[in-house]
Amino acid sequence: MTFLTDIRDYPWTSLLAGILPARLTALLPRRFQGAPAQIVPSASIAGNALTVVIAIMTFLACLTAGGVYMINQSANAWVHDIASEITIELDPINAPDIEKKMTLVSLFLAKQKGVTRVKPLSADDSAKLLEPWLGSTAALSALPIPRLIAVEIDRSNPPDIELIKNALNQNFEGVTLDDHRRWQAEIRTITRSAALGGIAVLGLVAAATIAIIVSATRSAMASNRAIIEVLHFVGANERFISGEFERHFLGLGVRAGLVGAFAAAISFLLLPLMMHLLGGGVVTEAETRRLLGSGELDLGGYFLLVGVVVVVAGLCMITSRLGVFRVLKSYA
Amino acid sequence: MIRFDNVGLRYGSGPEILRDVTFHVLPGSFHFLTGPSGAGKTSLLRLLFMSLRPTRGLIFVFGENLADLPASGRAALRRRIGIVFQDFRLLDHLTTWENVALPLRVMGKRESDYADDVTDLLHWVGLGERIHAYPEILSGGEKQRAAIARAVIGRPELLLADEPTGNVDPAIGNRLLRLFVELNRLGTSVIIATHDYALMDQLDAPRLMLQEGQLQVSPT
Repeated sequence: MTFLTDIRDYPWTSLLAGILPARLTALLPRRFQGAPAQIVPSASIAGNALTVVIAIMTFLACLTAGGVYMINQSANAWVHDIASEITIELDPINAPDIEKKMTLVSLFLAKQKGVTRVKPLSADDSAKLLEPWLGSTAALSALPIPRLIAVEIDRSNPPDIELIKNALNQNFEGVTLDDHRRWQAEIRTITRSAALGGIAVLGLVAAATIAIIVSATRSAMASNRAIIEVLHFVGANERFISGEFERHFLGLGVRAGLVGAFAAAISFLLLPLMMHLLGGGVVTEAETRRLLGSGELDLGGYFLLVGVVVVVAGLCMITSRLGVFRVLKSYA
Repeated sequence: MIRFDNVGLRYGSGPEILRDVTFHVLPGSFHFLTGPSGAGKTSLLRLLFMSLRPTRGLIFVFGENLADLPASGRAALRRRIGIVFQDFRLLDHLTTWENVALPLRVMGKRESDYADDVTDLLHWVGLGERIHAYPEILSGGEKQRAAIARAVIGRPELLLADEPTGNVDPAIGNRLLRLFVELNRLGTSVIIATHDYALMDQLDAPRLMLQEGQLQVSPT
């Protein structure tokens, strides 16, 4: 009941005034402007330092959370793509009419149950796959580059891969089927490692962020001890005092958190450009893209950044509340 | 209104600085609390104001036994008490007017309901020209008057003042004493802790004399 009463009696209309800067608060309708003067001063040296600390820690937490999210998304997408595709490799050596063989194998594959699409890659396409490593050179055409056929399979009704493999071996010479199982296993290991590593880093950053924000909020609260005392002595109850501080520190946390998250969002928006500028070459860029995907954060990622801001602001609010109670507990 | 029964107080494991303090404060009474420096006047005021707990004995405030009262109950009682601190305790980021209005604000009253009262009181204590000034530019005497105005604005049932005339000249001191007397006539009980015998001599009021931690009531 007390909790419900707390929620009912909470000065929700003045919450907005606590979050917005004073200049914007003046533009709000009167009922949203809250009390006539802020009991907790909006600007102080400790408060300004706390704002900077929170903005920086939110920025770092957002970068880490967004980076882990991006790697996870990229790895998941890659495994998903590979799992829905098999590759047929045709050895060009001892194959006088490779184009004819490509057509025959493609027709054979198209007839198999569970195969949704067969895409023979031209010699140019196969050569392009090697370009990141060998460069664009005329010498590629002279190399016996294996010809590839990409086969998309129906994941809900997959074909019998072993059966196709045996049939290919029996009917065609120099044709191998790669179902990417080895790669999938390796990628799953890498993905799992990257995800675990990312989560560990995220955990460390989160722990550091929490520790620093709690510590900085406590310091800022210490400088407000006199205000708590005066409010206590003029008869304010715990709820009133903690409410004043919660609004102040929630507002401070939201503003500083948004600055940090906005800076992180800008960084993510610029990441593709930075990848290009700092990539160091086509191969490195290709490897970076393999790890981070396109380097762009999707909508879910940006929601994650908003989530970080909410957690940071909540931390400030709760720490200030506990700080008020700690000071009040020191009185009788 | 206030009852102390064999109250003792010590800080930590130190010596007992208040011993067997027993007295009653009746509604509408006026007392001076006096004694040499270090006798325990401020500690006694803090006990009265519920910012300290006694190490022994019982304290009843407005009929409530403080030993049985939760924090929320003490806050409610505190609103019925006005206090003037020796070090004023004004909030530096609020104007004089906002500082004085603070007790009414924490009571949840609307600004429009008390704005005129706060302004009138500030004029009465001689701070009419300092309404919008911040405490850091007020003189010691002006801060004292602002602190007194803050203590009395809520028309408390009990007013506690720690050396309220210590920083003001005799003329202002007399004016403040008149304010306390006027409040007392309107029903507020007043306890003033002071060294100022000239001030005490102006009024026929009982004196609570603290000497080496023990209290004696000395009717004049």
